[in-house]
Amino acid sequence: MSYREPLPEGCPPEAAEEIPAPREVFRLVRGNPPTLNDFKSQRAEKPEAVFKVSECQARGLSVFAERRDAEERALRLPRFRGCSICRVTLQDGAGRIQQTFQPSHHTWWPLAAFDILAHCGLQTV
Amino acid sequence: MKTIRHTTTLFYYDGPQVFEARDAIGGHYVGVMVEPQGGEDRYLVAGVAPERLRQFRAGTIDLRSLLTEAANEAWYLATAAAGLDQPLTLVPQDTGLTQSGLLPDAGFVLHDRPAEELALREARERNNLVLEIAADPPEAAEEHRIRVGTLVGLLGHVQLMVKHAYGAALRELSPDNRRAIDKTDAHLMDVVIPAAAGSFRVVMEAAKTPDMLGQSELARALQRLDVLFENAGNPQKALAKVKAHRGHLAGAYLRLLRFLVQHKTGLRYSWAEPGFAKSNNRAVTEAEAGPLVDMLSGVSNLGGESVTLVGACEKANRGTGAWGLLTADGVCSGKVKEGGPSLEGLKIGGNYKFSCIEEIEEVEGTGREQRTLYLIEHEPA
Repeated sequence: MSYREPLPEGCPPEAAEEIPAPREVFRLVRGNPPTLNDFKSQRAEKPEAVFKVSECQARGLSVFAERRDAEERALRLPRFRGCSICRVTLQDGAGRIQQTFQPSHHTWWPLAAFDILAHCGLQTV
Repeated sequence: MKTIRHTTTLFYYDGPQVFEARDAIGGHYVGVMVEPQGGEDRYLVAGVAPERLRQFRAGTIDLRSLLTEAANEAWYLATAAAGLDQPLTLVPQDTGLTQSGLLPDAGFVLHDRPAEELALREARERNNLVLEIAADPPEAAEEHRIRVGTLVGLLGHVQLMVKHAYGAALRELSPDNRRAIDKTDAHLMDVVIPAAAGSFRVVMEAAKTPDMLGQSELARALQRLDVLFENAGNPQKALAKVKAHRGHLAGAYLRLLRFLVQHKTGLRYSWAEPGFAKSNNRAVTEAEAGPLVDMLSGVSNLGGESVTLVGACEKANRGTGAWGLLTADGVCSGKVKEGGPSLEGLKIGGNYKFSCIEEIEEVEGTGREQRTLYLIEHEPA
């Protein structure tokens, strides 16, 4: 079982859950249609950067469990001006996920074999 | 050049998007990520009044209002070249913030609804886990007052119970998970509002701020407390729950209940973390505490925990039953449990495995705990 990005030992953490049943999460994307560039971790974007979070977190993707948090919070921030929301349907084989930071925010570590774009549907805002 | 240091992340998405910071003299700032420059993260920063920051944390004002108001004085840009662990140098900006195009849109608030409950409101405003306890001893019936001994005892018992609940929660984690947690002082609480309005209420906050994921270690302990207090009105159900948490936590619970009975008071508590939609509330009335004490007092070894020690025998007094064992953690000493094994035949300097029950007793009137190890079995190691 290999992850989309090389992960440090002990990552994802034990508290991160498998995804046995389909569930939806929401991610901000710049591309229309979305591309794999929209699903790069912070570490993949900035290989040399020093992050405030652990290396494991830096190699995960931020997603929201509630669309409202993407639409009414993240999209209002200057950094995400012009972004759209992609609904990603996670299912068995998508990787592992853990609630982190604010309640709706989750960190997702996708498995390499999971076809992200095939499970991503652009939402009208 | 003025510099600030990141203190708390308020909104995270692929990195801290909105955060709090302090300058060298304690001034409060808010930073918001804007478009990066030269591949480095860049933040709009403005100094904010503590009261307005508190309102923003509570979800009662939006980010744009907070920044616009603050930027009447000055606003800055800061580049996080070395990450947010290092001080950020603030570069003052001359143009008006509203014309900069960097402001967030209106309507970004941290919470959907304002908190109606005190614990939740305080948790949000303090951005930390908050526990509110309320007692109703006889002296509080007419006015806002409580005996010193009652207040001191109550706080002490609650803190000890939280400590043992945290210890019990940690023991259920895997060794790897346990190692990854910074446990130092994680069970401690600080009183932040010593006498809140209403019946006699005290508000406490986790002594440690939440971890980098925004989670407080103390939540593990309070979830355990919730389980024990859940069935306070039903002693049979409560008994089953307490037996399932046999050990120091159950012992601390029983001591707290005895205290409530002695001081003729019930106890209500609420706790919340900043991200909660509502507080968790539990209560035990004075009338409920009595039958619980009676029932739990009849359970043998309710508060004892099994401890296994391996080491060299330092002392074995057959007359008094006192013993000492030099283990890797130092010398442990105790006595033989009533009806327990004889110390006859143990050799000083010989290596043994001692199976013991550790019991905690309260040192009368001090609120301190005294631990005693009772030997129930020994064998050569």
